[in-house]
Amino acid sequence: MEMPAPNTAVLSKKAKIVERLQSVLPKDAVIYDEAETRAYECDGLSAYRCPPLAAVLPSSTEEVSAVLKICHKEGVPVVPRGSGTSLAGGALPTADSIILGVARLNDVIETDYDNRVIKVQTGRTNLSVTGAVEEEDFFYAPDPSSQLACAIAGNIAMNSGGAHCLKYGVTTNNLLGVTLVMMDGTITELGGAHLDAGGLDLLGLICGSEGQLGVVTEATLRILRKPEGARPVLMGFDNNEVAGACVADIIKAGVLPVAIEFMDRPCIEATEAFAQAGYPMCEALLIVEVEGSDAEIDEQLGLIMQIARKHNPVELRESKSSDESAKIWLGRKSAFGAMGQINDYMCLDGTIPVSSLPHVLKRISEMSKEYGLDVANVFHAGDGNMHPLILFDANKPGDLELCEALGADILRLCVEVGGCLTGEHGVGIEKRDLMVDQFAADDLENQMAVKDVFDPTWLLNPSKVFPLASSESRRALAIAAE
Amino acid sequence: MQTTFTPEQLTDPGIKRSNEILRTCVHCGFCTATCPTYQVLGDELDSPRGRIYLIKDMLENERVPDEKTVKHIDRCLSCLACMTTCPSGVHYMHLVDHAREYIEENYKRSFSDRALRWILAQILPYPMRFRVALLGAKIGRPFAFLMPDARLKAMLEMAPKTIPPVSRNDDPQTFAPKAPKKMRVALMTGCAQKALNTDINDATIRILRRLGAEVVVAEGAGCCGALTHHMGKTHESHATAAKNIKAWHAEIEGEGLDAIVINTSGCGTTVKDYGHMFRNEPLAKEAAAVSAIAKDISEVLIDLLPKDASELTTDVKRGDMTIAYHAACSLQHGQQIKTYPKDLLKRAGFKVVEPADSHLCCGSAGTYNLMQPVISKQLKQRKVETLEAKNPDIIAAGNIGCMMQIGGGTDIPIVHTVELLDWATGGPQPPALTVEGKRTPEVPILR
Amino acid sequence: MTPKTEAELADAIASAKTPLRIIGGGTRPIGNPVAGEVLSTSALTGIELYEPGALTIVAKSGTPLSKIETALSKENQRLAFEPMDHRALLGTTGDPTIGGVVAGNISGPRRVQAGACRDHMLGVRFVDGTGTVLKNGGRVMKNVTGYDLVKLLTGSYGTLGVMSEVALKVLPKTDTQATVMIHGLPIARAVKAMSAALGSPYEVSAAAHMPGDSPVTMLRVEGFEKSVAYRCDQLKDTLAEFGEITVETDPAKSAKIWSASRDVAGFHNAEGDVWRISVKPTDGAHLAGKLGTDTFFMDWGGGLIWAVVPAGTDLRAKMNGTPGHATLIRADEATRAKLDVFHPELAPIAKVSAGLRAKFDPKGILNPGLMA
Repeated sequence: MEMPAPNTAVLSKKAKIVERLQSVLPKDAVIYDEAETRAYECDGLSAYRCPPLAAVLPSSTEEVSAVLKICHKEGVPVVPRGSGTSLAGGALPTADSIILGVARLNDVIETDYDNRVIKVQTGRTNLSVTGAVEEEDFFYAPDPSSQLACAIAGNIAMNSGGAHCLKYGVTTNNLLGVTLVMMDGTITELGGAHLDAGGLDLLGLICGSEGQLGVVTEATLRILRKPEGARPVLMGFDNNEVAGACVADIIKAGVLPVAIEFMDRPCIEATEAFAQAGYPMCEALLIVEVEGSDAEIDEQLGLIMQIARKHNPVELRESKSSDESAKIWLGRKSAFGAMGQINDYMCLDGTIPVSSLPHVLKRISEMSKEYGLDVANVFHAGDGNMHPLILFDANKPGDLELCEALGADILRLCVEVGGCLTGEHGVGIEKRDLMVDQFAADDLENQMAVKDVFDPTWLLNPSKVFPLASSESRRALAIAAE
Repeated sequence: MQTTFTPEQLTDPGIKRSNEILRTCVHCGFCTATCPTYQVLGDELDSPRGRIYLIKDMLENERVPDEKTVKHIDRCLSCLACMTTCPSGVHYMHLVDHAREYIEENYKRSFSDRALRWILAQILPYPMRFRVALLGAKIGRPFAFLMPDARLKAMLEMAPKTIPPVSRNDDPQTFAPKAPKKMRVALMTGCAQKALNTDINDATIRILRRLGAEVVVAEGAGCCGALTHHMGKTHESHATAAKNIKAWHAEIEGEGLDAIVINTSGCGTTVKDYGHMFRNEPLAKEAAAVSAIAKDISEVLIDLLPKDASELTTDVKRGDMTIAYHAACSLQHGQQIKTYPKDLLKRAGFKVVEPADSHLCCGSAGTYNLMQPVISKQLKQRKVETLEAKNPDIIAAGNIGCMMQIGGGTDIPIVHTVELLDWATGGPQPPALTVEGKRTPEVPILR
Repeated sequence: MTPKTEAELADAIASAKTPLRIIGGGTRPIGNPVAGEVLSTSALTGIELYEPGALTIVAKSGTPLSKIETALSKENQRLAFEPMDHRALLGTTGDPTIGGVVAGNISGPRRVQAGACRDHMLGVRFVDGTGTVLKNGGRVMKNVTGYDLVKLLTGSYGTLGVMSEVALKVLPKTDTQATVMIHGLPIARAVKAMSAALGSPYEVSAAAHMPGDSPVTMLRVEGFEKSVAYRCDQLKDTLAEFGEITVETDPAKSAKIWSASRDVAGFHNAEGDVWRISVKPTDGAHLAGKLGTDTFFMDWGGGLIWAVVPAGTDLRAKMNGTPGHATLIRADEATRAKLDVFHPELAPIAKVSAGLRAKFDPKGILNPGLMA
């Protein structure tokens, strides 16, 4: 994975930069010793690593601003970092960059049930936002699988989703306001507890901008009342087309499940060996969950099962209790852990139109044979977001490269059928080079022009999202300005 | 993760095991969410993932450990919450134990550090020496403020106000069951615990006898080795552990044992790990046999205690007493025992509540509260806050370390779970419920 | 100018040297007055793709909204954000286009639960101020590939680009609906009642309050028949403390209540300027009484206030720093030129907005000055 060469001018003044950072932060908030910066050399995409010049851990918006001011003046690139759980390498540093970690900004600033919002510092983990409002029976809807550990800051940067986003939307649909620190240190606010933008929807632009437009230190988030209950139904099918058709029929019938999860045979087998959740050994498995009162759940599940029966499932299992619900979900929730126990794996994140699932799965199976690497598939069937898991051996020379090549081909296929490269993980570094498969040069230029407005010096996370060749002249500006 | 050990390096069994563990880590970061030091410090280096990374680098490159790496690994509580959270099954405990051993062998600590650790290793595992030290601490306590080293200060402040007299129940002997015999068990009487508190072992022996167990205190058993093991002093820890293995194995081979009962969960975790610790040593078979039957007291009582509370004879209205159950890390994460103590207390008729964030360590963690007083204090404060928020009459825990730590931060009385169960089955009221300086809970009596 | 294809649209803009006034159906003349040659998208029509099973529709921007709604209705689906029809309020005629809906982020009462137009946008094709054809997003719901310019363009009133094609997420129509009505509540109580309703697990899909001599607080419940009946009953229980409650169970009548709310029917014949204020609901409760007008209507649980005031009134000033924004929806040109239709932005934000406009429209020809 190519990364830009570090700015030697910045490298040579490391001591000065560290000193200046230490003048605005507490002593333990500046990490610059080689033994320590190593821990910040990668995020969840551990295949790519580069220790930063230093890592800073500010505890307030003002400290973040002070840090950015210094970096702006000294021409030091800044890589914001939440919990470092990104699977796309969003927090991968370069040797001349500062990692700006927001983990110490984790307070709840205000909970407001009358207006159904919560304001938090963005270093707080996703699940602990729900944790803060659970006692009042509220929750924060976007629930990426990493929600236990991932930070709201990262959720905003990547516009994270989760299994429940079919009904409740992704981060951008639940984000009402932010406190934003710009690269020159300016602190400003967008949105708030009120709805809709008063002018241009800059909040919508910031969400999903992968830490390239500003550092978000506080966020106002929508909180929702927990539904009365939820229950899943498990369906097994003996081919993928039928499973896909069943999903389409459920949607057309007007039922809006809160989640529709799909697992293919390789995934089912690996998961069952690990979690023993009692899944049927079949080609395709669907878990469909609905919410409401018991009676409403019964009604919806009744309708869903009726539709499912028309497709001759090999297994149809309705949950009638919370224990049974947990059992049905157990396998799906342990799927990635199960894979991890067998092998190293690379988790892809392409989205496809739901109708093309059978075709895409067929093609993936063919490509998997060509490359000689196994692929298991987990799929958010309601919204088309696929997670092919390519199994490989990190300690076998050449396997990583092979895996990446297969991954790239699969993502190109997603684009080919009308989908996109990434549904929730973000571009980071992982899909940078594939951006040209989805966007024309003009489209990329248009997006980069947006960054020019927010960060003319291109110091915020400059080597992400855009192919290096595309962003080269802009990144060169930052170096030239030195 | 990808690792880069050479084949030569992998011939070392310790490295081989650590390589296996490192390979299972996928660097996902889930562990950071439940790590108490990451909660407090917000620094990747003070999270399990960061520590794994530091250990990996240290072992792969055969580095002489540097001060910073040692600092971060020293800050690990070994609470093992990360192991509970890890979706990939990384055996963090074995990895950090190996790292501590490596550091002890390859890193020259500062003189004061070495001295302190030496003193702790020489005193804590030996009850007689520990009692003398406690007495000295009791006397020196008013002068704590003069102590220049925060850790020495912490030690003085932690010394209990009363030091119990030696209990003869802790001597090697056999206690006959008081009901038709159901099993024969060995009780580990431990080391530090019996110097600080003799009520726990007394209550354990009483309830086991009452429910039909023959209890033997084996000749030659003593400290389990956890304290020294967690300092990386594996020679010492293996030496004391070997004594236990031999003592209990003699009983296994002699009159037989159904279980080795341990009522300090910190020790239980270590005894259950003897099989792994000794896997490459002559005592391997015996160690495995001992580990196989090592049980926390709650694991034994869950089968012995009658399921129907009405069978229990006592006139205490237990249903009117709210017990806040504090889940010791070594019990919930180390031994993965999460429900038995609560189930037992409920079965015995008590009302049980749990504090928020019950997965987070109280900061005791063996000698951690002595070695890392600043972080320990923050964790203690958090734990006490969450416990007091539940407004309990009594706090129950399964580990002496937690009891000392939490007890020092609240005036709600704190007892061992087994003391309450003993009380509910006909034993005396736990002495800790009527102690000067603590709230005395109203004990509702059946009329 | 009425280009018939995307290419023609691009040419028209590329060769334009003077300001253009972009319109769709011309039914929503909202914004600061713009003098320029009219460029209409009304000839860019046609539904390009509609997949009910994937909840996706893609249409050229000039497609009449009515055509889209008819196509969706046939499959028992709809645009969940229920875009307002401005014609009666603004006294305009013509055929609203889907492009106009998107350009104005036009939504309705259901916005409070289902999200606004921007929350249903999947992708756009557009022509920027240099005449370059660009695209962002796509046709799938989960898409975080690159920056979300789809959100940026939605609600940009044609100032950053002229959309040629839009992709939206659609949702199933619900089986039936009912409206729970609480009578006689003063504003503060009404907002409290709406908060209680929206904070309940009974999925209220709209919450509005009509003040006056016989105030009525309205809550819509949609779904399958039994579910709607159950939830209305539950709401009656939950809200019993607030006062007299009746339920409109006839779905047609209930629908009429909400289309009237959606289009702010009460103000169609009211004389004066119309403002649209967005605040958080509890602030709405305070603010409503301080506006100095009795002619107002609250939607979004109290978070949206429509107010009619004497022509030329600066209602925004009455906000007195309350967080949120006020938009001048209906007023004569002179007033709109004087008072700023859109809420002034914080300095750093205004700078960014201006910078973006300069990037997308360097010639300054796309509805220049309409927003700022």
